Amino acid sequence: MKRFLETGNFAITEGAILAGCRFFCGYPITPATELAEAMSKRLPQEGGVYLQAEDECGAMHVCIGASLGGMKAMTATSGPGYILYADPFGWALGCEMPLVVVNSGRVGPVSGITGAPGQGEFYLTRYPTQGGNFECITLAPNSAQEAMAMVVEAFYLAERFRMPITVLGDQLITDGFEDITVPENEDEMKEMGFRTWPRGSCAGPNFYPFTDDLDIPPVQMGSGAGGLCSDWTPTVEGYDIEEVEAHHKHAYRLIYKVRNHRDLFNHLYEKKYMDDDPDLVVVSYGTPSRVVNTAVDKARSLGMKVGALRLINLWPFPDEHFTRKTKYLTVELNWDGQLVREVQRAAPKDAAVHFLGTCGDLPTIPDLLENFEKLLKNQPLERKGWELEAW
Amino acid sequence: MKDRLEIVASGFGGQGVVRLGQVLGEAAVKEGLRVTMLKSHGTEMRGGYVRAQVVLSPKTIDSPMCENPDFFIALSSAAYNRFKDTVPEDGVILFDPAFVEEIDEKLACTHRELPAKQLAMDNFGRPIFSNSIALGAMAKLLENELDKEVILESLLEIIPKFHDKNREAFQVGYDYMS
Repeated sequence: MKRFLETGNFAITEGAILAGCRFFCGYPITPATELAEAMSKRLPQEGGVYLQAEDECGAMHVCIGASLGGMKAMTATSGPGYILYADPFGWALGCEMPLVVVNSGRVGPVSGITGAPGQGEFYLTRYPTQGGNFECITLAPNSAQEAMAMVVEAFYLAERFRMPITVLGDQLITDGFEDITVPENEDEMKEMGFRTWPRGSCAGPNFYPFTDDLDIPPVQMGSGAGGLCSDWTPTVEGYDIEEVEAHHKHAYRLIYKVRNHRDLFNHLYEKKYMDDDPDLVVVSYGTPSRVVNTAVDKARSLGMKVGALRLINLWPFPDEHFTRKTKYLTVELNWDGQLVREVQRAAPKDAAVHFLGTCGDLPTIPDLLENFEKLLKNQPLERKGWELEAW
Repeated sequence: MKDRLEIVASGFGGQGVVRLGQVLGEAAVKEGLRVTMLKSHGTEMRGGYVRAQVVLSPKTIDSPMCENPDFFIALSSAAYNRFKDTVPEDGVILFDPAFVEEIDEKLACTHRELPAKQLAMDNFGRPIFSNSIALGAMAKLLENELDKEVILESLLEIIPKFHDKNREAFQVGYDYMS
């Protein structure tokens, strides 16, 4: 194994290549530009193809084309580019093309600040396109090392579920440096828990079955098998049709192939001090979870019975972690409160769910400790310069 | 070493702030330590505000933020004024008087002056070597945590050109702090 100091962008590149990705198309945007740069250097060395598109919408369409041609493909951007994936994302979901999409979140809305982290796309990764009638899978690492692992995992899930998977990072993960360990062969990959799935080609005659079955290879254009890859409702036989009954079967598949196979990714979470029925559970994902972990360690040393739950698999939302009737606090990199709404929905009706957000920078440990203490004493969370909110 | 060592470097874009953090981080990786380094910067490539926050530890690092840095390398007045109050009593502020004209005498931490720009001009006739001088000075200050030769080796790996002069500059900084 190789070990060195590198950025999350570099770690993601290596992860993608280890997973068999040989095609990248993107459009530069901070903090994902270095990922494109690393891909442009590394892919040709591995016999792969790097392409820069005219914009993000075009980039993801090109990736779908590469996937249709039998390649494992990836694109990467930040929030302002992720929104431009809306059109191709729907096509990839609907015609079941495996792809990996990396979103390195920065503070928004719109362009916001290039060099400041944000978590404004929690819901956008659940609804990245219009129309409904689908489920999405989103993985949110909290370090460069885990970003590499989650990109490998995303390629694995993309193949098995036959769909685009979002890896949701933030500027601190992708742009920040960290010591990373890169496996150099398959044995080392297995040792690190990396799993891969080969690309197959659907030989028909059932191209779009109406079951929730996994492990059906994607349709490959030019393979002679006879399947179409249209943006209209597909039939089992691989042609398209505008007919409600066929669409019911299609929608059932897009929703339930994910909902019925959550065992493949529902182990992706981290719990800390959760075994002694904590009085406060701090819920977070991505980089804020690292500050939360340090703060929770300190809180415990000060006698506060606080636990930490870090989500890695964000969508479908893991409701099963929220069965306790206790106090919850979400810590997020936004001021509007996104994760908190989902925790409110998932938690028991009489549980108290609170929110602490920061905008463009991480929370500090003293701030977190102060808020933990207030909640444990049943005091309201006041925010300087803000009127008191319901959270 | 302690469980968590925090180093902050901050100044303008183009001064090599990120490189400085990167060299110390790479040396720590070579020493088998865990490392995180956050970089914050404005949109400009040169002239904008830049900060590198480096955390070194023998253990897994949770928070990558330097809330109370053990060492703060101040390369502009703005950076000095912004972060000086975060340095704890036993912390050290290393500052270049060419950029930080006035220091806060009320602070409890230790100030160490390093005229890196002046030393670079005197020894090499170019300010570009001040970064390697600062790294040499840091190698002295971090002598209980990181091997001087490992920092130098990392510097020569990361900085592609003028290896002889950078090696000399590194020694100038090291000697100045000794």
